[in-house]
Amino acid sequence: MSASSAPLSAQGLSALEAPPSGGAASGGPSGGSSGGRDFARYLVRKLAAALVSFAVLLVVGFTIFSLMPADPVETLTRGRPTSPKQVAFLIKQLGLNQPVWERFGHFVVSTLEGHLGYSWQFQTPVATLIAQRLWPTLLLMGSSTVVSVVLGLWLGIHSGWRPGSHLDRVSTGSAITLWSVPTFWLGIILLVLFSTGFGPIPALFPAGGMSTPGTAGGLTPAHILDVLRHLVLPSLTLVLVVFAQYQMIMRSSMIDELGNPYLLTARAKGLRDIEVRNRHAVPNALLPSVTLVFLQVGTMISGAITVETVYSWPGLGYLTYQALQIPDLPLLEGTFIIFAASVIVFNLLADLFYRYLDPRVRRA
Amino acid sequence: MNAPRSLHRGRRPGRRPGSLRPATAMIAAALCLGLALAAAAVGAPRAAAASSGSTLRVEADTAFSTFNPFTAYFDADLNVIASIYPTLTLVNAQSHTAPYLASKWTVSPDKLTWTFTIRSGLKWTDGKPIRASDAAWTLNLIMHNSAAGTANGSLVADFATVTAPNATTLVITTKQPAANMLYVVNNLPIVPQHIWASKVSQLASFKNMTFPVVGYGPWVATGYVPNQYATMTANQNFFLGAPKYKTLIMQYFTNGDAAVTALRSGQIGEIDDLTATQFEALKHSKNITLYPSVSNAWTAIELNPGAQTKSGQHFGNGNPALRDPRVRDAIELAIKKPELVSKIWDGLAVTGSTYLPPAFPQWRWTPPAAQQLSYNPAKANQILTAAGYKMGSNGVRTDPSTHKPLILRLGIHSDETSDAQMAPYLQEWLKAIGIQVTVQSMSFTQLNTDLPKGDWDILSDTWSTGPDPTYLLSIQTCADLPANASTAGNTDAFFCNPSFDKLYAQQATEFGQAQRARTIDQMQQILYQNAVDIVLYYPDNLGAVRSSAVKDFFYGKPDAQDFYPQQYVFLDWQSAAPLSSGGGSSSTVVLWVVIAIVVVAALAVAALLLRRRATAGERE
Repeated sequence: MSASSAPLSAQGLSALEAPPSGGAASGGPSGGSSGGRDFARYLVRKLAAALVSFAVLLVVGFTIFSLMPADPVETLTRGRPTSPKQVAFLIKQLGLNQPVWERFGHFVVSTLEGHLGYSWQFQTPVATLIAQRLWPTLLLMGSSTVVSVVLGLWLGIHSGWRPGSHLDRVSTGSAITLWSVPTFWLGIILLVLFSTGFGPIPALFPAGGMSTPGTAGGLTPAHILDVLRHLVLPSLTLVLVVFAQYQMIMRSSMIDELGNPYLLTARAKGLRDIEVRNRHAVPNALLPSVTLVFLQVGTMISGAITVETVYSWPGLGYLTYQALQIPDLPLLEGTFIIFAASVIVFNLLADLFYRYLDPRVRRA
Repeated sequence: MNAPRSLHRGRRPGRRPGSLRPATAMIAAALCLGLALAAAAVGAPRAAAASSGSTLRVEADTAFSTFNPFTAYFDADLNVIASIYPTLTLVNAQSHTAPYLASKWTVSPDKLTWTFTIRSGLKWTDGKPIRASDAAWTLNLIMHNSAAGTANGSLVADFATVTAPNATTLVITTKQPAANMLYVVNNLPIVPQHIWASKVSQLASFKNMTFPVVGYGPWVATGYVPNQYATMTANQNFFLGAPKYKTLIMQYFTNGDAAVTALRSGQIGEIDDLTATQFEALKHSKNITLYPSVSNAWTAIELNPGAQTKSGQHFGNGNPALRDPRVRDAIELAIKKPELVSKIWDGLAVTGSTYLPPAFPQWRWTPPAAQQLSYNPAKANQILTAAGYKMGSNGVRTDPSTHKPLILRLGIHSDETSDAQMAPYLQEWLKAIGIQVTVQSMSFTQLNTDLPKGDWDILSDTWSTGPDPTYLLSIQTCADLPANASTAGNTDAFFCNPSFDKLYAQQATEFGQAQRARTIDQMQQILYQNAVDIVLYYPDNLGAVRSSAVKDFFYGKPDAQDFYPQQYVFLDWQSAAPLSSGGGSSSTVVLWVVIAIVVVAALAVAALLLRRRATAGERE
């Protein structure tokens, strides 16, 4: 990942005097109208690839869920008196009597129309259900991702800059320990400690849900604070488990940069250590972390099934789990499409962002 | 790797012109955090207040899906619906039917015509009077509209006509005498015609979530936050008296342990369906009273007696050895049921025996001592040996018909802890009689999908019932076998016995309780002797109430074994009353404030130390 591997010769030193990072300020685009055309070609190529990926997803998603052993009518009616007439009605209503090709046609049309079909168990358009759960998931995953990225990158930068330091040993050890802890277990422990209370400490946070039942909703300060109180434990659980991956990758990238001559040049120019780190080492070490961040953001809306289940957080992860229990194929297909499309979109954005971040991509 | 370290070791991080000092940033962060914590402290009592006083918060059994009584399947929905819509009868604390919307009823001498007198003077929550025509309209809709019959169509299958000759008279005629009519109508919510008439065309997708919902019951549905909770307020005009609480909130927890945590901290007032482990853990909790009640459910293993269609065509790959009743008897004799109760349920279950669970003593049958198939592995071995199942040198018997080793698959629910605990015991006990068991852990869905295909040998199964056992008995009749191998019938485990079917038809027309009970006893005897469903135990219904805040939640008195009678949420929520205490919020506020002060102080100290260190670096 080093920006330059030139030997430390006079020529090399001259080359190294230019800021080695691929930041916005450095190494302008290949310039003029040809640069614009290059970007347009690049954009079209990436968009086409994304569209092909999406089309493949439609087929794969439908095929996978169609192959699932499922008898939703049996699951819905199990334990209740059900006449053959009722069963026949449900089969027809759920579209289970349609041939596979016809169901695929409905699936594609409903996806393109945007309502994503009709949930069997909730009797509601899938798009409506997803819209209901999107905000809770974005709030939980967004807040935990932001904190994880900031914490992980900060620790990664500092521990990687001085490997073996006290901070490095403590933070790396803690991160690896927390990374290896099962999420649901950590969630339950935090839940028991902070929602039940221990010793003289009373319960500090709610045991589940996104708001206190019976309180007024809306954008009032009291409701916002209430939601934040409910957010603390699930978000903390995710942060504690997830920040390690950012820290470890950033730390590793930083260590890779430590021996590079351009740092020596920067120091030789009299830059202070913190400037060498922040202006030269960090931008070069950032690329793998950016990849990870975009991948993580892409998968963000799929939520965190375990955390949402532990804390009764009404998000998309738990919606998927509910769909699996029936199994509610339209809902599963709909959530699959949304999750996968999100990954495709953020991969596309990552590709575009790379052009901005790394001049080598522009030159490729 | 070492060179850069040596280079930067002597340098201390400097401060760029215009950038914020770390110490200053930390102080700012401390202040922000302190403000946030203080704000949270202010917000806390507001939230805590919702769980006290006139609001009862309970755990919902499942997630919510719809409040449409014509299409609802899930327990949480059904509990809401039972609270906001009336039925002709209700089930009282003794598990008997009692007047509700109908104040009295008569049945014609030929037992085919039921005349219900609708209570006069009752009004829907929008002020319109409740008339017999509302009931007639509702029942006719279920009978003649497929969408309206989605959930309850089978209950009206025997109804011939439903009419309302006047505002207070409802007449139901049936195709054949129906002894369980009063229980049937207890499961059919009546809706206001003037509200629902315009919904008929969209009944299948109508969710009935426009609040307040017009109905009649002890509660009025007034709100629903998707996937979290439903809110109901007390109906002050309920004829049995308004509930003691003004508001009832049913909150759904996706995780049972979280619900227990909420009970311990006072966020909810009641919880049921506890596991034995949770129940034991709550035993020593202050302010919580435990209520084990008599079971209305059983857990069994069902043995595949040969999957077949109504026409007798066999299908599936079940082990043919299980068609031999001697093998099934031997399996039952090999199982030490009391040990399952003590090891898996910590004694919080009743050892299994017969088909109908102990919650309803009117249907309880105990097999005579001579017929009991209690744990006796020696006798089991004796039966198998006498039947020609020779023990091999590897400890596994051979089927004399197929000459194959006696190896059976045991399908268990992967999401049921008790199933996973039970499986090794069954393996060990059946091994002792020369039967090898391979465990297949399956999801609920997978297991339900495999069941009608007949591709199984032994499956774990659980059923519960209300006070009318008709449905639980019906799933053992030949009529519930599938029509062909590709369609699922309602059959429990492909049991089919003409004598049983004859008795089933007979009990359906027996209006005398004692007479019907005798017939049902005979049916249970047939099931017991055929050992297709081996009932392992009846797990107790384990509930808990935050007794420092709620009183009179559970009704009745415990029996000699400390079991309460079967409970119904309709009565629980009606009888529960608030206690004045149950605070604790003030101590939480104080704690939050203390935490805020400590955090601010700690960060301020850290900031000062950082500043000193930075200055020292610059001095170097």
